Amino acid sequence: MLFGLMPLIKMIILIVNAIAILSEDRFLARIGWAAQPEPSFGGQDVSIKGKIVNLISATRLLTRIPLIGINSIIIIYELLLG
Amino acid sequence: MHRNSPQIHHPVPQRPVQVPVMQSPPPPSHSSDPYDNPYGAPSYANMGGHQQQHHPQPGQNAGGGYPQQFTTFGQGANFFSDPMAAQMGFNVARAAMSGGTDFAEKNMNRYLSSLKPFFAVTNTYVLRKLSILLNPWRHAPWSRQSTSRSSSSRPGESETIYLPPREDLNAPDMYIPLMSFVTYILLSSLLYGLSGTFHPELLGYTASSAMGSVVFELVVLKLGCYLLSIGNSQLLDCMAYSGYKFVGVIVTILAKACLGAGWLSRGIFVYAYAANAFFLLRSLKYVLLPEENDAGYAGQRQMRKRRTWFLFGYAYVVQLVFMVTLTSGVGKKA
Repeated sequence: MLFGLMPLIKMIILIVNAIAILSEDRFLARIGWAAQPEPSFGGQDVSIKGKIVNLISATRLLTRIPLIGINSIIIIYELLLG
Repeated sequence: MHRNSPQIHHPVPQRPVQVPVMQSPPPPSHSSDPYDNPYGAPSYANMGGHQQQHHPQPGQNAGGGYPQQFTTFGQGANFFSDPMAAQMGFNVARAAMSGGTDFAEKNMNRYLSSLKPFFAVTNTYVLRKLSILLNPWRHAPWSRQSTSRSSSSRPGESETIYLPPREDLNAPDMYIPLMSFVTYILLSSLLYGLSGTFHPELLGYTASSAMGSVVFELVVLKLGCYLLSIGNSQLLDCMAYSGYKFVGVIVTILAKACLGAGWLSRGIFVYAYAANAFFLLRSLKYVLLPEENDAGYAGQRQMRKRRTWFLFGYAYVVQLVFMVTLTSGVGKKA
């Protein structure tokens, strides 16, 4: 079952977890993927790299707190059902 | 004095009487409602009137419903303070539930009304669309037609919307993908049963696996659209386009079941895959690629090239992965 629904949800949550625990100043600034401030309106400023950086920082900002709840639910689910 | 004896007017209580009167043994309660109180009968009528000042709307239903129930064991009824709290709690719960269902209904109506144009298909549309799906190289115009209707959100203007599938052959619909999805599940279960390895969980297993692959493909497509700043892709359209590959998958599975696992069924799989890829390339060209005008801007040309690569990659590589996944291992474990 390569793409079952439940394994897919777990895979998505694992990937979001991995994105959420990236550290802003220890890792992302080192490789130049730090979140930029609001870009000045200079035309084609939204490159693919800029979009990825924005996506990562937005994911980190928004999903840190709900992930706590979701991870707890999944941990309890796995402990109870083996 | 000839008068009738004056009518005796018993003093009518101006306020509800709150005097509990005990009866032994207590009268049996006829209803199994947990909020019933066997002592509580006509005081509910007073309580209904009393509570109408507190809860105007929900109280009337409950207050109106209960006195008919309780007049059977009425006289000398008793009253505790518990039924009042219980009824008020019940009214609050009823108000909350009705508010919740109203909210859910409003959202559901909005989703259903946006799904409706996808199911407006006719028989000739379905037949022609299936023939296009299996033989897309003969079909000439691929663009969706649009018409301008008076907009409902901005009155006075006219916005251009796409025609529904009933009037436009190139419009995506959800009828064919949904039906082919269900047919795929049933057919694969049938083939498993023919080879003797059917168990009833297989239906749900296949369904969740196929739906998981569709969801994954939609996530990949939406991520690509966001990264390449393609603005105008609707989720339902992409869902319809990704459901069209089930038609080719069904044809491949049938061929594999009838003809065995030889080179002919592999050829049919390659043909169905190529037809699906071509169909997606032509249909998604209008969604993913920008206009054909040459602005001469180097960045835009590069953006256009990137988008073209993305479209190619999506139509070929991603679909290959999914079609291989869907067609492998169906009815094979003998």
